[in-house]
Amino acid sequence: MIISLFLALVGLSGGLIVGGGIVALITVLDLIPRFVQITKTDQYLLHFQWAVVFGAFFFTVFDFFSAPLYLPVFLLGIVGAFMGIFVGFLGAALTEVLNVIPILSKRMQVYDYLHWFIIALAFGKIVGSLFHWMIYLK
Amino acid sequence: MADPVRVYVKLKGKVQLPPGAVVRVKDVAELVTNSPAETAIREQVLHVLKPGDGNRYVVDMIQIIETLQRAYPELFVHNIGAEQMIIEVQLPKKKISLLLVAFVWIVLFIGSGLAIMNFHTDVSMPEVHQRIYELVTGKKNPHPLIIQIPYSLGVGAGMILFFNHIFRKKFNEEPSPLELEMFLYEQNVDEYVLAHEAPGAKKK
Repeated sequence: MIISLFLALVGLSGGLIVGGGIVALITVLDLIPRFVQITKTDQYLLHFQWAVVFGAFFFTVFDFFSAPLYLPVFLLGIVGAFMGIFVGFLGAALTEVLNVIPILSKRMQVYDYLHWFIIALAFGKIVGSLFHWMIYLK
Repeated sequence: MADPVRVYVKLKGKVQLPPGAVVRVKDVAELVTNSPAETAIREQVLHVLKPGDGNRYVVDMIQIIETLQRAYPELFVHNIGAEQMIIEVQLPKKKISLLLVAFVWIVLFIGSGLAIMNFHTDVSMPEVHQRIYELVTGKKNPHPLIIQIPYSLGVGAGMILFFNHIFRKKFNEEPSPLELEMFLYEQNVDEYVLAHEAPGAKKK
């Protein structure tokens, strides 16, 4: 009994820290403000916050406790696209935090071509990702 | 008794001049004066840009006061606003080699692709995709491409969306994060120059 209580405490503590970590990461990278800025939906900011919280919670429950749902496979295509957009945002935010592109384009005096470099980053991600799934892993 | 002759000087923020340009008071500051010699005051020469000045030349308020006092000893100079400003020497624009652009492009393209592969491995993305596939459909699939191909396209779409590039006109007129970063970066460089570079007056 005591051991069970202790294990529950371990689980709770771990969950608290991991949850805090997810929120901290998303906050540091300014992901939600960026979504809000692009879509001009400031008044729904709080809903987005809850979307993140519920997303983390439901996926945890789904992963740990759910039985297979036997849903049609094409639904995964939709889910996959959403996952990709989020990861793309994450990657772009990381690149931006590290300040790579402004300094690179300033130093090499290629500021006029900045938009091509963003395209390069985005397409590099697409190609790298497809390569990973379709060739590298097979 | 006549009113004292005054001139109010407000330095401009940052101006760009070609190398070798003669820097006159009117180039670096706006001024209001009750002096009859207003035009002559505006045309007072502060400095001539030399190659040795580098690409940024700092003008200090004291330099303007010095120049004006020498020419018009009876003039009261009042400073409004900033005490220093920067002249950016516009070097003739070097022709950018397209080869260099192509090089940077390829570095970013390959680096970005490699980074996403590293990321997938780092966070065990394949296992997660397989797990999701199994949970949703009830079947195992070691290569759930139905998730992974839309996912890959989504990654690119997300990045472009983040930098707000293609859809800028449609969505909003606010600066994209990159434009903001560029602006902050320039501003930092200016602040650094003001803090570290001796103003022109003291350099002689």
